[in-house]
Formats: sequence, C-alpha cells, structure tokens
Amino acid sequence: MDPSISPTQTSRRSSLYRRHSQLNAEFHSFGETIAVHHYGSDETTQAQNLGLADLSTLPRVGFKGAGALAWAEQCGVHFPQQPNWASKQPDGTLVARLSSSELLMIGDYSGHSPLIDRLAAADRPERVYPLPRADSHSWLALCGSHAPDTLAKVCAVDLRPQHFENGRIAQTSLAKINAIILRSDIGNLTNYAIFSDSSSVEYLWDSLLDAMAEHLGSPVGLQALIDNR
Amino acid sequence: MKILTCPLNGPRNMSEFTYGGEYHPTPDHADASAREWAEHVFFHHNTAGVVTEWWCHNASSYWFLAERNTLTDEVLRTFDCDQLYNQRIDFSAVTTPETRK
Repeated sequence: MDPSISPTQTSRRSSLYRRHSQLNAEFHSFGETIAVHHYGSDETTQAQNLGLADLSTLPRVGFKGAGALAWAEQCGVHFPQQPNWASKQPDGTLVARLSSSELLMIGDYSGHSPLIDRLAAADRPERVYPLPRADSHSWLALCGSHAPDTLAKVCAVDLRPQHFENGRIAQTSLAKINAIILRSDIGNLTNYAIFSDSSSVEYLWDSLLDAMAEHLGSPVGLQALIDNR
Repeated sequence: MKILTCPLNGPRNMSEFTYGGEYHPTPDHADASAREWAEHVFFHHNTAGVVTEWWCHNASSYWFLAERNTLTDEVLRTFDCDQLYNQRIDFSAVTTPETRK
C-alpha cells in the first residue's frame, strides 16, 4: 500500500476531495486511482452500522445504442436478461443493464477493471455510443444495516433488502435529484452504489450525511468496504 | 402524489416525469410540405378525451407513450415507443420549392 498521498496528484479527482480533506481523510492509491483510504479508526465496524464512501475516482463507463447489447455480447460481456438488474463478471466488474439498449459497467474496488479497459480500446460498430460515466456521474456507496432506513428518508422507492434484491437497480429520485441506485452487497454487508450527476454530488453527500445522522452514520474510506468483503 | 407507471422502471411518483406533448404520427419527411411539418411540430389538437402523449422518466431519460383521458386525468395505459417506432429514420436534406423560400 502506498503511503498517504495528495488527492490532487492525479487529474482525476472527486468533486468531494476538499470535503474529505476537511474530515482529515488519508488518501491512498487504489490501482490507477486515488481515493480516501480512511478518515478515522475502526471504520470496518462503522461501515457495518452505517457508512458513506466516495468512490467517484474508480473506473466506470457506459455504452448505449441499438447495437450496444449485441456488441457487448460479442465482446464476452454477460448481462442480465431484464433491464434494471446487474450481474458480476469474472474479473469483478459489475455490468448494470439500464434499458434494452444501455449498459453501465462498474469496476470493483481494486481501482482497475480489465473489462472496461478492453471495451474502451475495442472498435465499436455503428449504433454503439460510449458514455463517459466516470466524468458525468459521481459514485457513492451507502452501506450498513441502517442504509435502508436512511434511504427511506430521501427516496420514494422501497429499497429495503426484503423488497429490493441484491443486484437490482432503481433509477429514481434521491434527495430530489436523479440517481441510479444499485444494490451491490459486499459479503454480508448491505450496500447501495449510488450514481448521480457529478455536478450535484456535494449536495447529495451533505444530504445523505444529514439523513444518516440519526443512525450515527459517518463517512468511511474505501478500505472499510474492502475489509468487509 | 399521483403515480405514473413507466414501462421501463415501473410505478413512480409523478414528480419523476416530464410531459412531452401530444403524440402525432410523424409525416413522411421526404414528401411532407413545410405546412405539414409546421403543424406536426407546433400544432396540438388539444382533444377533450383520450389522447396519446409523450412522457419522459427523468432519472432514466426514458421516453415512452401514455394514453390519458384529459377529461378525467385517468391514465389508461403506458407503453414503449418502439411499438410505434420500430425502424431507424435517417433524414437527408431535401430541397423543395417551399424550403427554398
């Protein structure tokens, strides 16, 4: 593991890095990216109760168009039969099917996705259009046993685990902004990946922390998620 | 809160949707006159009764169609637009006496 480094060392930064610095975050490199390693101590336990992590610098990309799914299939991508579900690939990348013609690919927590790298470099046929989701959308992870209670305060869709299975996706309004919410549990840890417009992420970060306060939630670093695997 | 059922995402609060205007069959772009195009784009029938309308689910940017009774505000059904648009339409520049004016 690299020693602590500055979040501004690379050109890809999270819009939230100043907030993280104010919270005395320690940044480390994960694969090709820099993310918060931890803020305080014992974040593994904190994540099991209620934690919010900023994963915005980790890799993700989208592909859209009438030919997108057929092309992805040719490239060896396994995606769910139904929209609004996600499935994990052998290299750990999560492929979310957002509609009959759109996929969102999300790297794992290593900060490196061989599948995303391969598709980004591949020739694309007509009617397949790349979507720069790593630029357009932030990525937050809300985890822990109180994550469903927190989401119930800011979202009208029932996201409780008994009604919203692991791998399901809700494209909906979260704290009054548009978001893609994907349940992607980490081991036994209930976890929701939240993708929203990167220009609104400071608002969403503050709103979620406010909603988390009554359940004693707090920000956690990426290492807390990795340690819970 | 009113509920509208998105064909892709299921029932959602009405605040998640944007109204997109009446649905009209698109004129044949190769033969339509400028008048027909103007009517298609700008004119609305404003029917009192069952109409077909465009709606967009904002969070997924998903456009679909709804049959709604404008007298009772009852939505009869919603459906994917690929039921009406099932092939790609490529537009090429067409010069007619009207477009030259």
